[in-house]
This record gives sequence, structure tokens and C-alpha cells, in this order.
Amino acid sequence: MFPGTRVERSDLVEGATMAGILTPQVLRRLEQFQLIAARRAKSSAKGERRSRARGQSVEFADHRNYVLGDDLRYLDWNLFGRLDRLFLKLYEEERELPVRIFLDASESMLFGTPSKFDFARQVAAAIGYVALCGFDRVSVHVFPDLTAQKEADLTQYNAQLAIRGALRSVRGKKSSLEYFTNLTGLRGGGVADFNGAMKRGVLESRQAGVAVVLSDFLDPAGYEPGLMALVGRGFQVNAIQILSPEELDPSAFGDLRLVDSETGSLQEVTFGKYRLAAYRQTVANYVQRLREFCQGRGANFFSCSSGESIEDLLLRQLRSAEMWG
Amino acid sequence: MRFLTPLAFWFALALPAVVVFYLLKRKRVTRVVPSTLLWQRFLAETQASAPMQRLRHNWLLLLQLLLLLLLVLALARPYFAGKAGLGQMQVVVLDASASMQATDETPSRFERARKDALALVDALAVGKGGQMVVLVAGANAEVRQSATSEKASLRRALEGARVTDSPTRLAEALRVAETLIRDRPDAEIHLFSDGAIPELAEFETRDLRLVYHKVGKGARNAGIVAFDVKPNPEDPAKRALFLSVANHRSESVDARIELAFDGQLIETKAVMLEATNTTPVVFIASQARDGVYTARLVAEDDLAADNQASVVSLMPQPVRVLLVSRGNRFLEKALAAAGVNVELSLAADHSSADAGRHDVVVLDDVVPSEWPRGNVLAIHVAPTNWFEAPIGEIESPPIVNWRNTHPLLRFVSFDSVQIAKAQQVKSPAWGVSLVDAPQSPLVIAGEMGRQRVVWVGFDTLESTWPLRISFPIFLANVVDWLNPATAKAEQFLVKSGDAFRLPLAAPVTSGSVTGPDGKVQTVTLAPEASEFVWSDTGRQGIYRVQLGTNQLAFAANLLDAAESNIRPRETLDLGRFTQVKATTEKDANLEYWRWFALAGLAVMLGEWWWFHRRTA
Repeated sequence: MFPGTRVERSDLVEGATMAGILTPQVLRRLEQFQLIAARRAKSSAKGERRSRARGQSVEFADHRNYVLGDDLRYLDWNLFGRLDRLFLKLYEEERELPVRIFLDASESMLFGTPSKFDFARQVAAAIGYVALCGFDRVSVHVFPDLTAQKEADLTQYNAQLAIRGALRSVRGKKSSLEYFTNLTGLRGGGVADFNGAMKRGVLESRQAGVAVVLSDFLDPAGYEPGLMALVGRGFQVNAIQILSPEELDPSAFGDLRLVDSETGSLQEVTFGKYRLAAYRQTVANYVQRLREFCQGRGANFFSCSSGESIEDLLLRQLRSAEMWG
Repeated sequence: MRFLTPLAFWFALALPAVVVFYLLKRKRVTRVVPSTLLWQRFLAETQASAPMQRLRHNWLLLLQLLLLLLLVLALARPYFAGKAGLGQMQVVVLDASASMQATDETPSRFERARKDALALVDALAVGKGGQMVVLVAGANAEVRQSATSEKASLRRALEGARVTDSPTRLAEALRVAETLIRDRPDAEIHLFSDGAIPELAEFETRDLRLVYHKVGKGARNAGIVAFDVKPNPEDPAKRALFLSVANHRSESVDARIELAFDGQLIETKAVMLEATNTTPVVFIASQARDGVYTARLVAEDDLAADNQASVVSLMPQPVRVLLVSRGNRFLEKALAAAGVNVELSLAADHSSADAGRHDVVVLDDVVPSEWPRGNVLAIHVAPTNWFEAPIGEIESPPIVNWRNTHPLLRFVSFDSVQIAKAQQVKSPAWGVSLVDAPQSPLVIAGEMGRQRVVWVGFDTLESTWPLRISFPIFLANVVDWLNPATAKAEQFLVKSGDAFRLPLAAPVTSGSVTGPDGKVQTVTLAPEASEFVWSDTGRQGIYRVQLGTNQLAFAANLLDAAESNIRPRETLDLGRFTQVKATTEKDANLEYWRWFALAGLAVMLGEWWWFHRRTA
């Protein structure tokens, strides 16, 4: 630990508060957590995670026979005293854990009060903060990709491009203020290609690690191939589905012509209170199917409403689900 | 509840139209949602199980449907079967003629009419002093129940009525009914009939308060409308049977006619009955004894009563003709050739010794010392008790008209007949004029008592008639018509419902009649009775009569073309200018459409309020 990090903590908390993402109390609580990785880290960079690699750390791993040229500092003198043979002590190398956050910024995420996107950003900020505190590298994949439709949008486009680039690789607790600011500066919109985004993220990643998917999982093309690609690459997947209260409990009744915010497709529905239970059942079925899909492939799954309290999700639910501890 | 204009129920087709409008044209509120994915799932999961889900709990639609239903009901003009609107005095006339047996209504027209009449009894307002009379018009009008308020009696009277095989004789019933309702402005005659009524012209100007309840639906019927037996002109040993079969349907029918003699089938003929036409059928049969021919029409139709007819056929007897003349070769030759069985005798005078020995007496320009009691052809003789006014004489009268529909003038023409002199008389009450000159009838035929008379008002030798072919034909017709056997054969063939009359040669005190249904009824006659009359001939078929030691049979037949035509009439024609339309109920005060229309208005206001409440 560097003494400097402690000094800067109050600034960080202030920054996060200014960015309007997480309250200082939550941040303080989050600092106590560490992401639980079920697998050994495979990253090549140094970090604070146990890995299979042998190297320098305080954690003893094994002995091996001394061969000529080995560093004499690591000889086990006690063993030499008892057995009169030279053995070398091996230590576990501590590596970083790459944490990849897939953040759905499509048009459909902009709905709800607070919007699902805001909620997802908060979750991303919290997970990122926990990871940064644990000296893990955080990279945020925002999908869909940006498209500059008009000349006038160009400056905005460039600014967004810069933010997304900055979020691609964040390391160290010092960067958390910038991380929060960048998250706050993100703008959503566009049509998401969930599966495409997952597959590309898999290709881009050199090492598998923890993958957190923040989305509403309402892609007409389905979510199965994307999640399968993550699992297949060896990621430890945490899928967090965020639905708006309106989606869970619609308040619009009567003869409706519904317009899909992303695809623009129309759906005519006559809806009344008498069908609310049936609709809830439909949503429950959808969530359950997703949950079963994830559980069947060893992935963590959470479903939450953007109207819920973020503290409860972060400090209680994710903890009890052993995403961090 | 019934409806005056049930056709209005076609408007009810608008009901599904409203539903369709609701399904097709719904005003939808457009909303942007994050994703329609969940909704699609939702619809896929729920719609399959309930296709009409869209219409549930749509109060506006329900109100509109209710409104439409009420309007349609109002348009159909519902009414309750004449509860209080009936007049004080009802005369129910139930048609019990043969056509009412038709089974186009279930179970039959008569039962249907009886049911309707019973409904009228139920509707009788006894509390207001309503009374009812029940008349059944079968072969003759029968008052089954005189004016009463007792519904039980009226019901019993109607339930006891029986349908007959007779033609419709409504005039008599209506005459009775008219006397019952005369001077009672609130009285009405309710006629339950199929309208197959030939002649009601006498009521044309009577302003009859007649309500005609029509029963019957179709005209699916074929029937025997004429049946007669004659000696076969080509072979005297055989008999020729003539049948007319009428088909009142609008399509041709293949039928079979079976002829039986005394119950034994002797011949079967397949005939094709042309649509709405009458088909003649002739059978030739040899006959060895007196008996009854029965023809049966085997065809599918709604009325069975006219599918059978019987005729009594007696063995031909020689006709004994006496020609009283001073010599007339033409007449003599023509009479001798008048028929195969003529036994002609000649005399110069008819005396008391001749009485009863001849069937036909021909008086040719001779006044007999004793007038014959039997049938007479009188040529140029005029007893004063036949004509009222004094008999004059006219010179060379031109023949201007002759009645060739009369059986006597069958195939007879007076086209080139000139007459030198003729007697001038006035048409008498006992006969009809067959040949007319402007001043006087020239040939008269008629009946006086039971004596048939043909009177020719000119001397045949003073005319060119004997030289014409029509002369022998006329004489053959005369002999046939005057032959008592012909009259007797007609006597044994009565229309069902008509009385059978038989002159009694010797006094008989008791007898019995076996009807077509096998029921035997005994009769007691007064010793001085000279005639046996049997009027209970409502069922068609063969009646066997036992009078003392005498046994004979007569046949009652429908043989009525008007009755066989069972097509129900929409209107009753009273003469040429008055019509009575078929009605269901007359009184309009009991209609309820106003209430339905009011309810419709209320529903419409409610719908309006609901609509504004919903959209406000």
C-alpha cells in the first residue's frame, strides 16, 4: 500500500459524489470489499491476486530442487539443516484480475426513473471501484458503438469516443475519480447488438477474468450466443439484468400501439388491469429462463429493478451472492 | 311474446358488424416503450388461449350491442297475444275441411289451427265480460260451443273438434257467425283456415269483421280430383274408369295409381304428373258383378285424404225406351242406335198399363192419355203444369245460343239447324234452358221431383235437325241422361260431407251403416218414411248400408280440385272487391315496441355519459 492513496481518498469520495454516481457512505463501505474470483488470475501483469504462476510474494507455494544458478536468497536453510540437501522455496506470484464490465447503453436502457442506464452506471461504478481498490484492472465495454450521424454531432462524438477510450483500461485506485467522471459523461443511444458486443469483447480480451454484463437482456436476437461466448472464453460471468419499474408493472392501460424505442417496430396491444397478472407472469418467465440459462453455465445472475435502492443491491444482494466479500 | 314484423330481425345482422368494427377499428394510444419484446411474449402466451380477449370488459361495446338489440326488438314490433285487446264477443270458426289434414305444419294444419284457437281462448278477457263461440266448419257448420265465458268449456269444445274429409263449406259457418256478431260492434269472427275456400261472394258487402288466421306453408300435394266409371264404348263387356289426377306442386312427380275392385288389386299404372297440371288416367277393366272400384294414388305428399277415391259400379242393365209417336223414322232410328243396351218399343199412346214398365218415355208430338211417371223426353208437347204463362208460337226462330257444357249437349252443335215453328214459353224454375232463340228457350232440361225431363219445343220434322249429325248424338246423350241407372250410379257417389239419399220402395223400420272405419251404426226409420238419408259421411271411403234385407254400398269421396290445392292463401277473397288479409293478431295496442325504443334511448344516453366519463 502506498501512503499516498490514503491521502487522496477524501478527494475521491468527493469526486464520486460530484459525479452524482455513488454516495460517500456507499463508497466507504465498498472499499472493504474485494471481488471474489473463483479462478486463479491469469493476467501477465502484477497484481494482488493469487495466480498459478510462481514468483515473488509472501505466500509460500512449494519447494523444488536447487539447480545451479538459482538465487541463493530463496534457499530453504532450515530444510538444508535437517536433510543436508538444497531446496529452493517457491512463492505464489500475485497477478492482477482483469475485470471487464459490459455496459449496455442502448436506447432501451434510457427508460425508467431513474433510468436503467443510470442504474447500470452506478452498478458499474461500484464494481469498478471495488476492483480498482483491489488493484485489479477494469475495462468497460460500452455497446452499442457510437455512430456519428450528423456533422453537428462531431464534437460530441469525439468527446464520447475519448471517454470510451479512457474507460477501456483503468488501473489503480487513483484513477477512480477519472473513472467516475468518465462514466458520468457517457451518453446512451442506438440499437444494441448484444451478442455481437459480447463476442467482440471476448476477442479483444487477452486474458479471461471477471465479466460483468449490465443490460436489460431485451435483445430481439436473444442473449444466449453472447453469454455462451463469454463463458466459453473462461470468463467468470456475472449477468445483472436491469428492468425499469414500468416494464415490470405497466401503468398504461387500454388500446395501445406500442413503439419499440430501438427498432421502431409496432405492437398493438389491448391491455387492462385484468391482464396484469398474466403480464407479470410473462416477465417472471422471461427472467427465470435467463436465470436458468446463466446458472446452467456457472454464471451469476441478478435481476433488479432500476427503481430499487442501489445500496441494497450493492451492499447486501451482491455480497450475499458472493460476487464480492 | 310474438313479433308482428319478424323480418326486422335481419337487422340483428348489424350486431356482429359492430363487434367486427370494434375488432378492426380501435383507436389506439401510441406509446414508446423500451422494448416490445416482453409484450410480444405476453401476447404469444395469452392470445392463444383466449381469442376474444380484446373485447372483454369493453363496456362501450356492450352498451352499443344492447342498444342495437333493443332497436331491433322495437323494429320487430313485439306483442303479447291479444291479452286485453280482444273484442267482447269472439266467434271462432275452425276450418275442418280435408285440406286442413295436410301435414306441412306439424303435426297437421288442423292441430296448428286448434293450438292457435286455444291460445285465443287463453287470451279471452273473461273479467271484461268477453265471450266466445266455437264453430267448426267441416261438411256443415257445427256450433260446438254457444256463447260462454267458461274457458274450460271452450277448450273442451275445441279439443273435441275433428277434422273431416269434406270440402270446405265456410259460407254456412260464416252465415251463422255473422248472425252472432250482428249488432255487436265489438264482436269479431276469427277464422282459422288455410284459405282454400271456393266462394264467399255473398259476404262481399256485409262488412264482415273477420280476422283470418292463416295456417299452412306449402303446396306439396297431388290428388285424385275426378273418378268415374262408364261402360266401355268399344267393348260392352268391359268398363272404362276415368281418373283425373291433379298435381299442385311446381315440379313434376312420378306416381303410381293402383286400381282395386272390392279391395282386390287389379291393375297398377305409373304416371308422370306434370307440375301444376291435371293428368287424365284411363283404366279398362272387365267386371262380372256389382262392386266398388277404388283408385289409390301412391305419391309422397302432405295430404293423404285426396289420394284415394272409390266409385260404385253396377252391372249395366238394358234401357227400356218407349217411343210414343205417330211415326218418326228419324227418331226411331236414332233412338235404336242411342246405346248398346237400348230396348226400344213403339206405341201410339202412353196409357196407365204402361206405367213403370219403361225407363225412358219419348213423347213425340203426342199428348198421352196418361202422363208417364218416369223420365221423359217430350218433343213438341207442353203440359200446362210445366210452364206458367200460356204457350205461344213463334215462326222460324233463329238459334242464338246453346249451352254446350251441359252433358246433354256434349259434342252437339246447332250450327246449321233451321226451325220452321216452335212453341214460345218462359224459362221454368225446374230446369235450365239448353238452346235459346231470342224470344224463347227451345230445349229445356231439368228435374221435377225425382223425374228427369228433357223438353224440346219444336217438332223435329219441321226442322233440319234430324239431317244433322248432332241429332243422333243428342238422342244418345238424352237416353244416357234419362236412364235411371245413370242417376242411380250418381246417387251412390256422394261427396264426403254430403248426405246420401235413397228412395225406399218398401217401408223399412231399421237398418245399419258400416263406415269406412268399420264402425257400425244402427238406424231406426219411421214406418211411413219414403227415403233413407245418411248424412254422417265426413270420412271418405265406402259405406255399406243394410236396410231390412237389402244390402248396398255407396262411396263418399273428396274429389275436389279446390281442396286438393292446399297452397295456403294469403288473402281471402270475398267476392271481387273485398279481401281479408291473413293476420296474426289484429290489435296493435298490445305492442311493446315503445318500451324497447325507450329503453334504447336510455341505453344511448348511458353510453354517451360513459363515453365522456371515460375520455374526460
